[in-house]
Amino acid sequence: MSAMTIEKPWQRWLIRLGVFIAMLILTVPGLWVVLTAFRPNIEVLARPAVWIPQQWTLDNFQRLFGLSSAQQGLPVAQYFINSLVISVTSTVVAVVIGMAGGYAFARYRFRGKATLFLAFMLSRTVPGVALSLPLFILWARLGIIDTSFGLILVYMAINIPFTIWLTDGFFRQIPVDLSEAAQIDGCTPWQAFWKIEFPLARSGLASAGIFAFLTSWNEYALASQLTRTTASKTMPVGLMDFTAQFTVDWTGMSAMAVLIIIPALVLTFIVQKHLIAGLTFGGVK
Amino acid sequence: MDPGLRRDDSVLLIAGDSTSRRIRVLTTATHTYSQPTASEGITAFFRSPRAVPYLLLLPAMIVIVAVVLVPLIVSFWTSFTNYNLTKPDTLFNFIGLRNYQRLLGNDEFWWAFGRTFLFVTITLNLEMVLGLGLALLVNKITYGQRALRTIMMFPMMFSPILVGFQFKYIFNDSIGLVNNALFDLGLINQPIPWLVDGTLANFSIIFAEIWMSTSIFAILLLAGLMALPKEPIEAAKVDGCNPWQVFRHITLPFLMPFVYIAMTIRSLDVARAYDMIRIMTNGGPAGRTELIWTLMTRIGYQNSQMGAANAMGYVSIILSIVFTFYFYRKLTAARTFMGGAQ
Amino acid sequence: MAQVRLDKVRKSYGKLETVHGIDLEIAHNEFVVLVGPSGCGKSTTLRMIAGLEDISGGTITIGDRVVNDLPPRARNISMVFQSYALYPHMTVRDNLGFGLKIARTDEAEIRRRVDEAAEILGLGPYMDRLPANLSGGQRQRVAMGRAIVRHPDVFLFDEPLSNLDAKLRGQVRVEIKKLHQRVQTTVIYVTHDQIEAMTLADRIVIMRDGHIEQVGTPSEVFENPVNTFVAGFIGSPPMNQLDAVVVGGRARLSDGIEVPLPAGLPVSEGQAIVLGFRPESFAPRGHSLHGDGQALAVRSTVIIAEPLGTETILFVSLGGKDVQGKMLNPRVVAPGEELDFTLDLTRLHVFDKATGRSVRL
Repeated sequence: MSAMTIEKPWQRWLIRLGVFIAMLILTVPGLWVVLTAFRPNIEVLARPAVWIPQQWTLDNFQRLFGLSSAQQGLPVAQYFINSLVISVTSTVVAVVIGMAGGYAFARYRFRGKATLFLAFMLSRTVPGVALSLPLFILWARLGIIDTSFGLILVYMAINIPFTIWLTDGFFRQIPVDLSEAAQIDGCTPWQAFWKIEFPLARSGLASAGIFAFLTSWNEYALASQLTRTTASKTMPVGLMDFTAQFTVDWTGMSAMAVLIIIPALVLTFIVQKHLIAGLTFGGVK
Repeated sequence: MDPGLRRDDSVLLIAGDSTSRRIRVLTTATHTYSQPTASEGITAFFRSPRAVPYLLLLPAMIVIVAVVLVPLIVSFWTSFTNYNLTKPDTLFNFIGLRNYQRLLGNDEFWWAFGRTFLFVTITLNLEMVLGLGLALLVNKITYGQRALRTIMMFPMMFSPILVGFQFKYIFNDSIGLVNNALFDLGLINQPIPWLVDGTLANFSIIFAEIWMSTSIFAILLLAGLMALPKEPIEAAKVDGCNPWQVFRHITLPFLMPFVYIAMTIRSLDVARAYDMIRIMTNGGPAGRTELIWTLMTRIGYQNSQMGAANAMGYVSIILSIVFTFYFYRKLTAARTFMGGAQ
Repeated sequence: MAQVRLDKVRKSYGKLETVHGIDLEIAHNEFVVLVGPSGCGKSTTLRMIAGLEDISGGTITIGDRVVNDLPPRARNISMVFQSYALYPHMTVRDNLGFGLKIARTDEAEIRRRVDEAAEILGLGPYMDRLPANLSGGQRQRVAMGRAIVRHPDVFLFDEPLSNLDAKLRGQVRVEIKKLHQRVQTTVIYVTHDQIEAMTLADRIVIMRDGHIEQVGTPSEVFENPVNTFVAGFIGSPPMNQLDAVVVGGRARLSDGIEVPLPAGLPVSEGQAIVLGFRPESFAPRGHSLHGDGQALAVRSTVIIAEPLGTETILFVSLGGKDVQGKMLNPRVVAPGEELDFTLDLTRLHVFDKATGRSVRL
């Protein structure tokens, strides 16, 4: 596994130092933002800087939701709900559709298979921001600008190719023998899939779902153009608006940032093992 | 054994002379169907078991066509018109290649394009090197690798908007973490204008982008390192190689497919930087960090010049495809060279 | 109660035909083994019987039904896969009962049959384990148990012993044979190992390149192989085959040695033939299997001796090739030693060189 097995202690400490510094760089920015979210404005804006937090407060969050006596913020609660609804819906549908597609690629041989696969993967190469231009034109003409539905549709399309790729890899891991044995045992192919292959692919489908959810939850470029009002604006758009509108309300912005990151962190902790598996053997096999 | 390939019985020997050809009949599939006969119609086809894979893929195809293909066509068309959002009938004003010509003659565009190209190249390469370094380091740590891997995943979980905001805050010249730290450590007297000075702003966005995406390389390469078979390394050591040689001749070639996978995956998402830059500098100050994506949205949405914007959009799409394709080709080449090493 | 019949069964992948018109009749409760080298079509044929491959031509009949268009679940068959194909997310008990559950058998009956299979195969202590926690041999038995519980008309085995080590293979072989005696059902068994075929089969079907070369009982195919391929395939060590030319009622080998042929053999003068004899028929004087009756004396130099304890395999040069002989009641033989060998003339096999077919009286 390693190129050197015999290490002198100073080498080992150097390595540990390097890793420590790297982890520091990776965690400090985020941590700082989280800290800021729980500190009062005066402390944050103080000069010279106050390093050790003296006061803790939830006021920033309360302001976001309009629950405090201070200024009215943006309708963050509504943004959060929009994000949640849009992300969850687009994820569920994308996973179902993607799973069907992934199964088709994993188990069947048919004409045009390679071309179709390539086409799906190519569709992912289109940058969201470039796609937002014509989508804006089209969606406006169709009247689905500023609707959750419009955005859900777009996120489905973004997530489906990757889901197909992941589930294709996962289904290939499941020996065909199992489905055949089930069919000999009396199952129809449909039954064999649901009773045998689907349960075995569950963790893979969960990873695909997590990826899809995060992609939708974190997306900005398309959401910024396809939404107009609080009816459909999502959290990332909200954060951008906030920074544009309340340029020095760093604590408020940090609070909003924290709201965006929490669901993502929770999900990551739950499935971090599977995420790595999904990335690698979907790709290297 | 690759679970996708069947047992030996599917290897067919085509009798010949001493050189009999082997045709591997891949039966990953449970179902392999014979060619359709001419006499069957469309409805009969859709009822037959042969239609199953197509039916399974139909919803996916419909969605992609509706959300990607059709808009791409619309974008293509629009790029040949002088469509202006404020004057909707201009959608059908065909002006030929004038948008593209104007684009290619436009200084602002070339600056943005050049910056974008440079930005992508620099960040991809630095991310790979740093990611490799990080992976090698983490690979040597025995305890707590799991925790380290989790921490390394954080940047991937952050929305690019979040990353942009985070660095906008940290690099803020008056109350940002960096300036405050440098000030308190006595290293500077004047606040460094990380996001306000033209050159520094470019540095800042590069730093932010590297922060955001190095993890992907690190994680993929770490997985590659963990999959590294020990025997070739031991053989090399017995053959007299020092650690550096082992790395250069054994480890690195084995890792190349992983490197290219990471590059390919990254190239797909290279435009995520748009979100980040938008919130950090929005192309400023005074357009000094204007990349092709910020320019595109500015022209399209703020100036309403959809035609020109779509032309630029197509350029950015081609840029993205070129990068992805380049690395994908390298990936498949590396894979065949390694003989499916895993 | 089922025989299985294959009538002119063919299989093609696109334009490539891999199984060419197989005809086979299997009686009820017969243990038939399909054996042959890799790629001969035996697994494909088995899978066509199972319904896991489409049949490109001909008919397959199980019992009195033509099953060509029936899906696997409607054919009332069971199959033991090479990889066992145990459902990894179910316990042994659930694995065994799965098929019955799908068929909506009632709980009591499922439990009864599952316990019966467990008892036959000795699975009692493992019933609540997951397949991942079983050894290879145990998994194999669960696979067989799963096949038994449904009381099918036909058992299909697809190289079930290939993944076991040699010792285990021998043990499980005996268990399969005992199982067949206890559960009187037709068995169709595919393997590439001719020892398995010989020890298990009531009848052996030897296949090559999508054709059936010979069908017969183990002793039939051993003593009367119909061509050089079967002769060389069945029997271990394999039959020695030497090129020869018919000269005056004898077979002249390339090194000049002449072997008398049985009188009345339908060969013509000058015909190119292949002379075959098993190692058991070629031994040093006094150490042979069948006594030194009607034999040809050949004095040869031993190249290599492989002592196996009860017998020693000797390699000598004859007819331009390395030939194996089996020395019973062996003494130590050194390479380079010259010995008087006897070639049993009553157990010669003669094949026409051009066609490979056996030449019989």
